[in-house]
Amino acid sequence: MTLPGECVPRQQGPPRLGATGVRMAITTDSDSTAITPSGIAVTAVGRSFGAVSALREATLSVPAGSVTALIGPNGSGKTTLMLMLASLLTPDTGSIRINGHDPVTAPDRVRAVTGWMPDTLGSWPSLSARAALQTTGRLYRLTHEQAAVRADELITLTDLTDFADRPSRVLSRGQKQRLSLARALVHSPGVLLLDEPASGLDPAARTSLRQLLRRLAAEGAAILVSSHVLAELDEMADAAVYLAEGRTATPEQVAAAGASARTWRIRSLNAASLERALAAPGVVTALVQVIGVDQLGTLVQVHDEPSAAALLHNLVLSGVPVCDFGPAVGNLEHTFLDLAREARKEIAPNSAEFTA
Amino acid sequence: MSVSRNRMFFTGLGVIVVLELRQRVRGVAWYVLLGVFMLLVGIVTFLLWLASAAWMAGGGDIFSTIIFFVLLLGTLVSPALSGNAINGDREIGILATTQVTLISTWQLVLGKFVAAWITALAFLAAALPFLIFAVVLGKVSIGTITVSVLVLAAELGVIAAVGVGLSGVLTRPLFSIVLTYLVVAALSLGTLIAFALLGTATQQQATRVNYHVISSTFDEQNGKQSDIVCSTASTSTYDLPRFDYYWWILAANPYSVVADAAPGSFDASGYPTDLFGQIAVAVRSAQAPPALYTEYNECEEASRGYLDSNFDSGPTAEQTYDNAVPSWFIGLAIHLGLGVGALIWAWRRTRTPARHLPNGSRIA
Repeated sequence: MTLPGECVPRQQGPPRLGATGVRMAITTDSDSTAITPSGIAVTAVGRSFGAVSALREATLSVPAGSVTALIGPNGSGKTTLMLMLASLLTPDTGSIRINGHDPVTAPDRVRAVTGWMPDTLGSWPSLSARAALQTTGRLYRLTHEQAAVRADELITLTDLTDFADRPSRVLSRGQKQRLSLARALVHSPGVLLLDEPASGLDPAARTSLRQLLRRLAAEGAAILVSSHVLAELDEMADAAVYLAEGRTATPEQVAAAGASARTWRIRSLNAASLERALAAPGVVTALVQVIGVDQLGTLVQVHDEPSAAALLHNLVLSGVPVCDFGPAVGNLEHTFLDLAREARKEIAPNSAEFTA
Repeated sequence: MSVSRNRMFFTGLGVIVVLELRQRVRGVAWYVLLGVFMLLVGIVTFLLWLASAAWMAGGGDIFSTIIFFVLLLGTLVSPALSGNAINGDREIGILATTQVTLISTWQLVLGKFVAAWITALAFLAAALPFLIFAVVLGKVSIGTITVSVLVLAAELGVIAAVGVGLSGVLTRPLFSIVLTYLVVAALSLGTLIAFALLGTATQQQATRVNYHVISSTFDEQNGKQSDIVCSTASTSTYDLPRFDYYWWILAANPYSVVADAAPGSFDASGYPTDLFGQIAVAVRSAQAPPALYTEYNECEEASRGYLDSNFDSGPTAEQTYDNAVPSWFIGLAIHLGLGVGALIWAWRRTRTPARHLPNGSRIA
């Protein structure tokens, strides 16, 4: 049993429920749609377009009540996977289950419980945000009254009140992004597929997006989020799925990558004393290596978290006034970069063997 | 169960229709266009009224001309309004967000078709005051009013269906709009050109045999010819176009469909009283094969004294009309097949989850 805030490497697998304070702080409100607690299950899914394999073999699961990050470089198949989950594209191989339903054979059942926010921001140009949300509600078979009530709720929720009655073509990118999110939530879906939801949002909107997603997860939604801003996913995701060259990384690969040596950054009130302490014998163990100094502080390569804890302990004992001590890159970014490195090695395995 | 499912289908269809109309047809430009159209129809009505002495001849000419005017304007405007219904949505990223809702592909395609049709019918509605004026002038039968308006509405629906259909089949909005215009042009002008060219290219030799009077004596008392000396037969040959082989091509022309469908209305001397009748007579007269052998014997006529010669002026327009096969339902059936086919094709290409993607297209 891990406690909130305890250091554990993030990996693919069941979510650490209760890991975030946010969901504790916000109480559940009106939208009490019954959600079948099941989520997303993807097994060995592949899809190619002509000669191009967009997705080779993707396997992942997003349990109800959790947020999973979908991470991968450009062209790794994230959007293709999202389209298949949203029941827009059939997979060539493998199987997909959304709350137990197959999007190919039972698209309506999948659509009724799935909210999809695409990476392209389209909205009916001449309709206002309010009208667009009401229309979307009607498309989900809500009555006029239900659709109107739901549209007002979502406008408040996504902070669009001031722009709700302007035609959506005059909205800014961030406002369109929020409208797009609101549209994905119209039918109170139990499964949310969000393709780059945070791009174009200002910091305040990002924070409220994060809180909203945590709250929805706390209410039982299964949420899959793709983003390039890994630091942000770090803060809201329970688990991560890494996609490279159309393949999801296996849990073993992720564990290995997450555990590999990473860079930490140290700042001290007294730079000279930090430099002295790092040079002194006994402070820097065999598992730690000083790399250099950048504009923010001193960078050290640390093999694992126990070594980092030991290093901090030693620095404090040496009387260094440490004011900042932490990984230079976030968990997800570290794992992502490490996996990307591994993937590049795999592309040219022969040459790697010969040089090794 | 099935009743509620039907209701659900039509509710969803209605949502799409309203959405489409709000999307495409709202705005000042649209009303300006309708205003200009009404002005044009008004001018045409007024000029025809002056020109045709309609206060005496009735409103048939004016009525039929307005109907054709609506057909012309409808076929000119409809492709631009319907030809990007589906791929235009895909281009601005709002097709997929509609497809992930509980709207079925048929609801989407048919909803867009109905909205495009309603848009085209707005032109008919705008012409209504002038049509009523023509009817008030008199001599326009209920049959003509009903049939021509219904067939016109159906033809506008066909153009809307072809436009929406092609917009679902082709990826680029520009191509589907242009192709819709080409379909309209092929039906409206292409049929005429094909008919004329094919008919003219298929020439057949016709023979004419003449007997002339070389000399005769005219008796002034009784006005009769006697001592008629007749020439030998002189034969001449010439080529005749065989339009009768190709009359069915004209059946596919929307103008001829509307004209041919309207019940013929003729005056006492068998002459058509409206534009429908004139076009229908012209189209139907193409069905009659030309006379490949004709004989003219002047001597015989001279012996009858020329006077009581039953000089054959040919059948009247009304007789030509009555003796030919009506073709409008064939043309209308071809058009309806074209429209339905286009919609089915669009449905196949727009279905989700999609197995195939059009070349170079993003599904969102």
